[in-house]
Amino acid sequence: MRNKKTGIVFFPAFDWAISPTHPEREERLLYTRDQIFEEGLMDLPEIEEYPPKLATIHDIARVHFCVPRVQSQVTEAHMIAAGAAMSLGDSIMRGEIKNGFALVRPPGHHAMRVVHGNRGFCNINNEAVLVEYLRRQYGIKKVVIVDSDVHHGDGTQEIFYHDPNVLFISFHQDGRTIFPGTGFTHELGGPGAYARTINIPLPPGMTDNTFHYVVDNLVLPVIRDFKPEFIINSAGQDNHYTDPLGSMKFTAQGYAEFTKKLNPHLAVLEGGYAIETALPYVNMSILMALAGIDFSNVREPDYSSASFKENPERFGQVQKMVQNLLEVWDRRDKTDIEKIFGTSKFYQRKKNIYYDTDYIEEDQIEKVRFCSGCSGYIVIESKANRGFGEAGRLLAISIPIDACHNCQTEAYTLYEEGINDKKDYHFVKLQDKSTDTCLSYDRDKKQEWKSEGPRPGV
Amino acid sequence: MYIGLDVGGTCTDAVLLEKGQVRAWAKVTTREDLLTSLLEAFDKIMKGVPADLIERVVLSTTVITNLIAEKKYDPVGLILIPGPGMEHSHYNYKTETCILNGVIDYRGRETVPLSDQEIDSALARLSSLKYKKVALVGKFSLRNNKHEKEIYGKIQKANPDWQVDMGHQVAGQLNYPRRIMSSLLTCATRDKYHFFAQSVLTALDNRGIKCPVYILKADGGTMPLKTSLATPVETIFSGPAASILGVQALIPPGETAVVVDIGGTTSDLALILSGQPLLSSKGAALDGYMTHIRALSVKSVPVGGDSVIERVGKEIILLSERLGPPYCMGGPMPTPTDALKVLGLTKLGDAKRAQEAMKMLGDPIGIETWEVAARIMLLVNKAITSEITKMFEKWEQEPSYRVWEVLQKKKVRPNTVVGVGGAASGFLTQIAAALDCYPVIPPYARIANAIGAAVARPTLQISLRADTEQGTYSILEEGFQGPIETATFDEDQALDLAKKWLWKRAEKYGVKEELGEVEITRKEVFNMVRDWVSCGKLINVSVQTRRGILHYIGTGVEQGEK
Repeated sequence: MRNKKTGIVFFPAFDWAISPTHPEREERLLYTRDQIFEEGLMDLPEIEEYPPKLATIHDIARVHFCVPRVQSQVTEAHMIAAGAAMSLGDSIMRGEIKNGFALVRPPGHHAMRVVHGNRGFCNINNEAVLVEYLRRQYGIKKVVIVDSDVHHGDGTQEIFYHDPNVLFISFHQDGRTIFPGTGFTHELGGPGAYARTINIPLPPGMTDNTFHYVVDNLVLPVIRDFKPEFIINSAGQDNHYTDPLGSMKFTAQGYAEFTKKLNPHLAVLEGGYAIETALPYVNMSILMALAGIDFSNVREPDYSSASFKENPERFGQVQKMVQNLLEVWDRRDKTDIEKIFGTSKFYQRKKNIYYDTDYIEEDQIEKVRFCSGCSGYIVIESKANRGFGEAGRLLAISIPIDACHNCQTEAYTLYEEGINDKKDYHFVKLQDKSTDTCLSYDRDKKQEWKSEGPRPGV
Repeated sequence: MYIGLDVGGTCTDAVLLEKGQVRAWAKVTTREDLLTSLLEAFDKIMKGVPADLIERVVLSTTVITNLIAEKKYDPVGLILIPGPGMEHSHYNYKTETCILNGVIDYRGRETVPLSDQEIDSALARLSSLKYKKVALVGKFSLRNNKHEKEIYGKIQKANPDWQVDMGHQVAGQLNYPRRIMSSLLTCATRDKYHFFAQSVLTALDNRGIKCPVYILKADGGTMPLKTSLATPVETIFSGPAASILGVQALIPPGETAVVVDIGGTTSDLALILSGQPLLSSKGAALDGYMTHIRALSVKSVPVGGDSVIERVGKEIILLSERLGPPYCMGGPMPTPTDALKVLGLTKLGDAKRAQEAMKMLGDPIGIETWEVAARIMLLVNKAITSEITKMFEKWEQEPSYRVWEVLQKKKVRPNTVVGVGGAASGFLTQIAAALDCYPVIPPYARIANAIGAAVARPTLQISLRADTEQGTYSILEEGFQGPIETATFDEDQALDLAKKWLWKRAEKYGVKEELGEVEITRKEVFNMVRDWVSCGKLINVSVQTRRGILHYIGTGVEQGEK
């Protein structure tokens, strides 16, 4: 392990943008390229650059219910960004590299299971596509995703909310002060995955000091307890003190030190829009930290330690929060689940999801089956309002990879009923992760599509 | 008529081309006294040809490469301005290195100025250690050469006799460590190269040849010998380029081929893709250090006709070392050449001794001599073909930074394997068969390098980078940095400006007539947006003269000027 290299896929998508002046535009990683290439990092023996590869439609369908279809929601750039994470995952699992950095755009951590459009600059959740691929291809069970973006990783949280084998930890600027307005401490996961979602909303203006307090006292101990086989870092860089969208005060050194401590298998770039003042330095320091190269000489040009004073009152709040969350974590398996989630056959949530980039409002009812034999299947009813009328109702069913026979049967019956129920649903979709099969039915076209993944190990 | 001249470490090859046909060629030993060897080679090919019929002479040489490899040059001191990033201890070039404070960022903005005091003490230190050659390199100096120029000015005042090379003039591409190495080599080789060039010019003068003289660069292009004095590093590593261009001239145009040059101890492999030799994506490497020198992609495999063969237990193995000539030529150990002899694939050596060599290996494990020979052939074959496959795979694995580049990737495999070099003929058929290709040994394969030099044509490129927000542009190859004159500068104007610079450069190099078509190799424009408003553009354009060769030998086809 020690002698192995760090793999990097650098895919700046120099010919792709959401729109010409959008933060997610061609220019975003230009200065990062200049910095990393001028430093000569790609020539170092510790680092190996890999070309990006394309994810397949099925790799996407394994995670997302795209409306109406996968092809209508993704561009090639999305397939390449997700594919980059997957190909680094392959190289790690094959033992060619010790860890990797998918320095790619577009980002993905706001993309949820159902995709009607782009929200928070994301269409496809790169980390979720990777996790489902690793589980399918290599039989990996337990995964940790640590989201270090200033925005709550609500998409990743939503996708794995009922999944007991994916521990999702997100620290971010308090949702009351920033998009997407979620990620509070009480969001702890569904009945089958209680405390496998952990949110640490941080008051604006906190510095590296708080960052590392949370990492040392909560993130790392929890991960040690969980004993994951694979650790992913959703490496958003907008906690940086110069970010135009966030209000935190983390530094490149802070990010590098965090990367060194977390020692993730894979870091995947998420947000970060201080494209000149932060990204070149933060990306460089993360890459160096992964590769085990001394990063102590990386610093921003305007950095001065005097301007980083922590507010003691707010720091006290964070300490209390960390303490409370630790207690929740410690009691996770002794908690009375029925008391929190009820005793009916299904646990149900109503969600109203806003797609800020595409101005879509989605109403969703998500039900998860209480099951003692597996983590239970999920049923979603969704309709999206695009401003010019409804896009059609969706029924979507997701069968987990560890599904019991009973859940599987019930889920397929629901899918059949959804298709035959002529008036209600325009689109009926099913993803069966236990057999790696995806089905999609379009009422108006009277057509069903089916995709299956390769058998594991093939 | 054209003359091609390849001055190697052991042999000097020369060829005289007339209308795409080989009129005469010569192979002489390279002697200590370069001038004598050159004159000998000239006299052999020029018999009965008046000197004024010669239109041009092109040289290629490994003489400078060897000097560097053997470290036969004066010490060069380094003054570096690395700023933040990699730890400064990383910049270890095994020579006196002064590190100064000062920072230029990726857009060329000065964020930390130099300190006069530091400069003075660095110069004092180098001077006290008797350094007279200095390479001066700042991080991002390609975006703003202010710091390098400031220090240069001070050196000129204090030590006008020093030879100083500045990073931004040597290499305008990103990659600081490679720029340091390139600058160091430029500084180190300048006077040795001067001596070499002078010997050549004297030899030509002695024989009354007054035509333009060019030298081959590592990337397969040529430049006038006189202008090459400013950037001698571009001509090192031109040895392999000569053979590859030679093969390109000796096979039909447009072919995808592997060039296999099997020598005594190593085999050099190169790719010609759809008629064009593949350029290395990373610069040439020397002594474990990468440089910015654009070079053709060549892979050296430590296998050759003189490699030692041993038996270990029941296995016969191929070692990467040489312990003398092959056994059949009086050497101490069995070699692949002995196997060739036993199988009747070479005229070299003594057949009895070759049999003996195979017996030495085969007898203790009860294997017939012919089978031993066959096994050895297979070992050599495998060592070479596996590297060829890796080269193609590596080429496919080149990173791409744009969506369209990722989408247009495709798999390419060769259809021809071309052999040059002494031992190639014996092994070629089997190597080609293993790759499902046709084996080709072109006529004149032995002097492919001299032919390659003769058919090479001048290549020039210009890379322009403009930052309209800051109102500046730079020409990477010229080390030029200046203001943008027009108010509305866009990519079309950038392109026109780049072409103007290309003409200027051609004029400077005296190759204006040969410029021909201009290719645009890169054109990218980034809109800079700050607070949702466009505030300027970053424009990168590169133009170059068409790559290619002047003649395909034996076809009478003349490329380029019609």
